[in-house]
Parts: sequence; structure tokens; C-alpha cells
Amino acid sequence: MRTNKLFIVLKYAAIILLVMYILLPFLWLIIMSLSSSADLTTKPLHWIPGKIDITSYKRLLLVGLNSRGSLFLYGLRNSLKTALAAVIISIFVTIPASWVFSRYPGKKNIILKIAIFTFMLPPIAYALPLYRILSRIGLLDNSLSLALVYCTIILPFCVWLIKENIDTIPYDLEEAAIIDGAGFTKRISLIVLPLLLPALGTVALLSLLMAWDEYFYAMLYTNSQNAITLPVVISNLASGRQSNYNLIAAGGVLASLPPVCIGLLLQRSLVRGLMMGGVKD
Amino acid sequence: MSIAEARKCNVLIVPMVVIMGTMIGWPLLQTFFLSFTDTTLMGLEPAGFVGWQNFVDAFHDDGFLSSLKVSLLFALVVVTSEMVLGTSVGLLVHQPFIGRSLVRALLILPWAVPTVVNAIMWRLIYNPEYGALNSLLFQLGIMKEYTSWLSNADRALPSIMFADVWKNFSLVALITLSALQTLPLSQIEAAKIDGAGAGQRFFYITLPHIIPSLQVALVLRIIETVKVFDIIYIMTKGGPANKTRSGSIFVYQEAFTNSRMGSGSAFAIIMVALIMILICMYLRVLTTKRSS
Repeated sequence: MRTNKLFIVLKYAAIILLVMYILLPFLWLIIMSLSSSADLTTKPLHWIPGKIDITSYKRLLLVGLNSRGSLFLYGLRNSLKTALAAVIISIFVTIPASWVFSRYPGKKNIILKIAIFTFMLPPIAYALPLYRILSRIGLLDNSLSLALVYCTIILPFCVWLIKENIDTIPYDLEEAAIIDGAGFTKRISLIVLPLLLPALGTVALLSLLMAWDEYFYAMLYTNSQNAITLPVVISNLASGRQSNYNLIAAGGVLASLPPVCIGLLLQRSLVRGLMMGGVKD
Repeated sequence: MSIAEARKCNVLIVPMVVIMGTMIGWPLLQTFFLSFTDTTLMGLEPAGFVGWQNFVDAFHDDGFLSSLKVSLLFALVVVTSEMVLGTSVGLLVHQPFIGRSLVRALLILPWAVPTVVNAIMWRLIYNPEYGALNSLLFQLGIMKEYTSWLSNADRALPSIMFADVWKNFSLVALITLSALQTLPLSQIEAAKIDGAGAGQRFFYITLPHIIPSLQVALVLRIIETVKVFDIIYIMTKGGPANKTRSGSIFVYQEAFTNSRMGSGSAFAIIMVALIMILICMYLRVLTTKRSS
């Protein structure tokens, strides 16, 4: 019995450590965002702010107080725009293609294999020519072209997961439709698509999070309010000379809110989505 | 499949192939061609064909070789730590305890925090003057005086690795947990009846059951870490003294800061080849394991 009790004590100690490890860094980011500059520039630090100061949030979210704020809002808008466009394009072109890969496996699956393979390549392998192409045709600093570039990241991921999901939809359902004379379009849109929707939602969300997270291409290809995305705005904020620690922290908290909320609400389906492609013999 | 059907199939694939071709295939080919030239970023002077020169130079370039070492070291340390920590945490939160669902929900927090925010958060924590880490260690009496983390040549890379592990161990933990949840209880019960101890149950039932999932996590993380760019670039820009300059950062600097696209492309192609070798090695190990 004694070893059992010791085990329980150790277990709870480990869990408390784990919770602290997960929470403390992010909690500190939140506290910083709510502290005044004076509280954050003392030695040693004031762990609990004297009073809650929301000026940094105001500076970021209200237009007109200074240029930073409006740039942050532009970043938010562009991030949403770029991520949504990239996900919509990717999903729209991968559904019919994945259906073919699933239903008519054959020579064409080499395309699927290539697509999955490109997922492993570093962005730096495409970045240089894409930069030259975009700058020649004058499409640098443009949300739509950035969204197309994001397809290089999202598309391989989508085609892999959507194909795996269509594989799990029984072919019998389609056979019945074939007898009724349904063509490809009807089979996809009336039979496969409705059954695919839940998985599609997960794939779309995961892709959205990937696009939201993207920094490298956005840093290279955007430079103004036209297309600059949130990660670039925040990293620029942080690389400035002044030490507006609370402002940087507030930007970080705001940029984390959408993915953290999505993650907390939809954890189960997100993890299942990530696992889908891989665990299958 | 009739000819008409096959033609229709092709039509359905075309949009994807067009986007992949223009956004992935064409640039990749161009990188390949650029790597044999001395093209500059602005491309004002006409590019000259230099043959294998860029590749020959690359293997004599200490900066490039040491940046590859940084990438590999980063991948090795970070992925190993994440796998060990993530698997242990997955096993821990699979146990029954009070507040279990809350802790499980919390696990997704580090993974959901955007990479850029994670990098900036840790940069603030590591700040030499007003960072939380210095203050904490000082107030606890562990350190006598404040020290620098990211601007110290020996501490910078481990500090970045620590930050990366914080974000990504949670993915491994979540994958482990979800694999554990599909473990058939009947197998465990049967083993118990047969007199298998806790250790035996773990090594003969639990571990084999979660290994396929862990392999997925392993591949995903190796692919991600070998091409690491953003977390390092935001935290140190590759400094101090290039001690944290990864392969991707080196290629970026060569092509965009030094505006040498030709040799930058050659470096990029070498990185691609390296990643391909890593993946082939992994697949080799996997298939020999399965067949034996």
C-alpha cells in the first residue's frame, strides 16, 4: 500500500509540474501585456502588476492613436484574407483530385506521391524563383499571390488527408448512384461531399492554422499594409529599438487568441485530423 | 474504366496539377537551374553559366557546412527531447487523476500558440535586463547576477531549443494520448490474468500499440526541424557569431542579404538532397523493421 501512495504523490507532483510548465510562460505573456512599462522595466521584476493596464491593447486595436495600431489591424485583416483564400483554393482543387486518387488508383497516384513528397521540402527551395517571378510580374506585396504561395504548404497536406478520408467512404454508395446514371460530378457532390464534410472541416481548420502560422514567405514577399501578415507585424514590433514589452506581449496574445480558441474547442477532431494520414498500414 | 471516363478523371486532376506545377514544380526546377549560374538578386547583369562551381564551392564553405551542422544538431536534440517528454506526458495524462480533462485540454495550448509568438515570448523571457528567467533565477537565489542567454554563444542554441520543445512536445503528447485511448482494455486484462507485470504489460502491449503513432510524430517533427527557419530567425537572426545559423537561414542570407541567388540556390538544392536522404533512410529502417 505504501508504494501505491508514493506513486499517487509522485503522479500529482508530476502533473503540477506539467501544468506549470505549460501555463507559466504563456501566463507571463498575458501578465506582461496587462502591465505598465514601469512594472516591466524594474530589477527584479514585479511579477504581479501594480494595476491592470490595458493601454497596449488599446494602442493595437484602436485606429488613429498611432500608426502601429492601424498596421496591426491591417495585419489582422491580411492574415485572415490570405489564410482563407489559400485554404479555399487548396480545398477546392484537391477534392476532385483526391476523389480520383481514391477511386481510380493507378498511374495517377504518382502525382499523389509527388504531392506528399513536396510536403517535406524546405520553403527555401522555392523561395528564390518565386520571389523573382512575383517581382517581375509586380505581384509582390499582394494578398492573393501570397495565398497562392501558401498553397505550396497547404495543398500537399490537404490532398493527403482528403484522399485518406475518401478511402473510408464505402464505394457501394457510389455504385448505387452509377446504376441510376449519375456522372462524376453528381457522385462527388451528392454522395461523397456530404459524407466528407466533417473531415473537411477539420482539414480546413488545420490548414487555416498552418497559414496563420506562416512567417517565412510573408516576411519575404510583403512589406506594406497591402499584404503584410500578423506574424510579420508582430516580429517587426518586437525587433524595434524601443522596449515596449507590454505592446509586444499584447500583440502576441491577440495573435494567439484565434488558434488557441480553435484548439481548445476542437482539440479532439484536430488531433484526429493530424493522425488520419499517418497511422494506417 | 472507359476512355471517356479516363479523360474526365484527368479533367478533375488538372486544377490541382496546374497549381502544383506553377507554384511548386516550376520554382523547384528554376532553383535547380539557378544553382548552375551566378545570378544575382536583382538580375541586372546577365547571369552566366558556371557549371558545378557553386556546388564545389559549397562543400568548401565553412559557413554553409557549419549551418548544416546547426540544423542537424537542432533537429537531433529538439526531436529527441520532444519525443521523450511528449511520450512521458501522454502516458502521464492517460492515468486517472482529479482534473484530468482540464489538463488534457491545456495540452493543446503550446501547440496552438503561433511559432512567431512563441519565439517572441521566449525572447522576452530570456531578455538579459528585464527577462523573467533572469529575475526568477536571481530571486530564487540560484544565480548571483543577471546573465545573457540569447547573446551568449554557448547558451543561445540551447535556449532556442528549449523554446521549440515547449511548443512542440505537446503535439507528441496529444498524439500519444489519442493512440493510448484506442488501446483495447481487453488485451490488458487478458495479460493481467496471464500474470504479466506492469512492466511487461507496458513493453509488450502498450508500447507496440502506440509506436505507429509515434513514428508519424517523429517524421513530422524531423521534417519540420531540419528546415527550421522562423523560430531561430526571430530569436537571434542566426547570431551570436553564427552559432545558431541554421541551413535555411544561411541560404536566406546568401540569396537575399548577399544577393547571390546562384550559390544560394545551390545551397538550397543541397539541403533538399540532404532531406531526401534523411527520409529515404527513415523509410528504409521502417520497411526492414516491418518485414522482419
